[in-house]
Amino acid sequence: MSQSHGKILVVDDESSIRRALHSTLHGMGFEVYEADTGEAALDLVRAAEYDVILLDINMPGIGGVRACREIRRSLPRLEILMLTVRDSEEDKIAALDAGADDYITKPFHIRELAARIRAAVRRSSSFHSDPDAVIQIGNIELDPARRLVRKAGEPVHLTPKEFDLMRYLMAHAGLPMTHVRLLRAVWGPEYGGELEYLRTFIRQLRKKLEEDPAEPVYLLTDSHIGYRFAEAKPEPVAEKR
Amino acid sequence: MDGKTAPVTGLVDESNSGAKANGWLRVLKALRTSLRRMLGCLAGLLAVALATFCAFQLHLNLSASGSLFFLIVVMVAVVWGFWEASITSLVAVNCLNYFFVPPLLTWRVSDPQDWVALATFEMAALIVSRLSTRVQAKARAEARQRVGVEKLYQISQRILLLDRRQMIGPQLVSLIQEIFGTETVALFDAKLARLDATGSRASELGQLARDAFFQDRTLQGPENFSWAHVLRLGVTPVGGIALCGPELDRLASAPIASLSAIALERARSFENESRAEAARQSEQLRTAVLDALAHAFKTPLTAILTASSGLLVAGRLSPDDAELATLIDEQAEHLNHLTSELLQMARIDAADVGLRRERISVLTLIEDALARHREQLDGRRVSVPESASSLEIYGDREILTTALEQVIDNASRYSTPGSPISVSAEENLGETIIAVHNEGPPIRPADRERIFDRFFRAEESRHRAPGTGLGLSITKKAVEAHGGRTWVVSNEDSGTTFFFALPRGQRRQYESVARQDSGR
Repeated sequence: MSQSHGKILVVDDESSIRRALHSTLHGMGFEVYEADTGEAALDLVRAAEYDVILLDINMPGIGGVRACREIRRSLPRLEILMLTVRDSEEDKIAALDAGADDYITKPFHIRELAARIRAAVRRSSSFHSDPDAVIQIGNIELDPARRLVRKAGEPVHLTPKEFDLMRYLMAHAGLPMTHVRLLRAVWGPEYGGELEYLRTFIRQLRKKLEEDPAEPVYLLTDSHIGYRFAEAKPEPVAEKR
Repeated sequence: MDGKTAPVTGLVDESNSGAKANGWLRVLKALRTSLRRMLGCLAGLLAVALATFCAFQLHLNLSASGSLFFLIVVMVAVVWGFWEASITSLVAVNCLNYFFVPPLLTWRVSDPQDWVALATFEMAALIVSRLSTRVQAKARAEARQRVGVEKLYQISQRILLLDRRQMIGPQLVSLIQEIFGTETVALFDAKLARLDATGSRASELGQLARDAFFQDRTLQGPENFSWAHVLRLGVTPVGGIALCGPELDRLASAPIASLSAIALERARSFENESRAEAARQSEQLRTAVLDALAHAFKTPLTAILTASSGLLVAGRLSPDDAELATLIDEQAEHLNHLTSELLQMARIDAADVGLRRERISVLTLIEDALARHREQLDGRRVSVPESASSLEIYGDREILTTALEQVIDNASRYSTPGSPISVSAEENLGETIIAVHNEGPPIRPADRERIFDRFFRAEESRHRAPGTGLGLSITKKAVEAHGGRTWVVSNEDSGTTFFFALPRGQRRQYESVARQDSGR
């Protein structure tokens, strides 16, 4: 076999899904391992190293959310991608709050799943980042040390809270951030229910940073879950490197 | 009707035998009263005769025999009443005159002092009889009242013990008849349009109870001792009750009516409570079944889609094979879409009892729906009004997002490809109206009503875009579950606009938070 793109652990109680994922991901160059319960997954991740774990939320036994919490406790760096079904927003939020990095809704297209897995593999291999390093995504640039944000090279005036929110979102670009997580990270641990605060701030940020606030390219809404900052460079910016 | 209760619906034949029996009863009662009177008088006369005989033999004087007679008159008054005592006193005064006032054994009175004595005797006898009867009548009334209160207390206790699982009406009329000894009771429940009656004049009083309800006032029956009252919960009339029985007056029947209304209200509230509980349980069951179904459908679909898209991505297929894999992929996707919509429909059907309402900003609602639908919009411009940020609605976030999403989906499917879509929101006459506009061929007038029907697809749209025929019916159902309405306006020049209007929630300004921060 040629060089592996990453070690993936697929955890799902449905063997048809494990089989389908195994064959397709293996065909795309990933090394694939399987577990059929959360308990089995815990045993496996303690014994060997993986880059990404695909974890079904709805499983008998300890279930996906608890398995996620347990894995996160012992392996803070392992990328956890939850597999969910639509209309289970509460489960998704619970999983993200339990430490999952991202989620994907069943049934998915393999192309989309592969993109998420590659992004996760990339994140897991470039973990050591300098907290004060300048973050550049598309034509938005954020300089944490100087507390400055530029859009296409032009400085944008942000209020302190707007800056903190941007910084947190950009530091976790590509990943869904639940409302509660954003509120606690930016406003403080006693916050959590003030969704309208967040919505107001995101609206302000979109006005300042997006070309068309109604068609956001960077500050994306994850319906009912929270927000995510776009990961890949959006279309207007040409690939230079 | 032999004491049993029977629901009487509609008019029942006049029960002749009952009325006849009733007439006899009354005659019997009058006979008994006069017999009692005569007995009293007879006893008084006998006592006077006996006293006269004894006093005459013993040669008692006028005052001694007067006292003796006085005692007899008072006793007759105590035992029988005023009229009996009066007759006794008249006979007594004549006996006194004849046997004890000189000249003896004549009706003449020689000494005027004796006239005074005789007159005083008669007056005193009458006054004392009157007083004694009055005191007795009062005591009897009090006793009757006490019994009435005891009966009311008894019925209020028994009402608590009525069997909740059975109809309340028949139980209540039997209970009233049992405790108050009424001749006939009829209870009309307006909500159920049900009449329960017991007793000999059931149909007559049934009509009276109905009349009391429809005329909304207390009525008296054609004969004495029959009354009909309106049953009220608070101020709302809910039925009528008619009662007929010996010694039943308006005052005595009113509290029975109040207690009956309370009994009905109590039964209603139990019924509502158990209905709500049943609805909650079936809603729970439904949700559980739906979740299981969702899982059961989505799992094979996920496997199929993973496999088909995996085949296509791997790129090792011949063009013919790739075409087949694409077909599997597309149809699995369509099946997935259909499953999702059926599940949404079923959830919304169940939502009538289980809306999870909260305050939602209209802008958030629009943003959420657009975010879910971003892929299908395929980069098309969607304009969202700034005004939406100050509007709020009170509803189920998940269900309303789905409703809006379906309208946006419809707009993107059936509009001119690449043309802009606009979403707008406004408040008007107590409603929050959200509108989704798209350009493109209009909807035929005949289809505009039916377009919201389940599984309806307009003739020309069937060929234009794949769909399930469920989308807009989901919107309609979801909006109606919130007490709102949906409609569409469509013409050649301006395109098509779908509207949905929801009863308005309170407006609240969140901008203050942003202003506070930007002020720093």
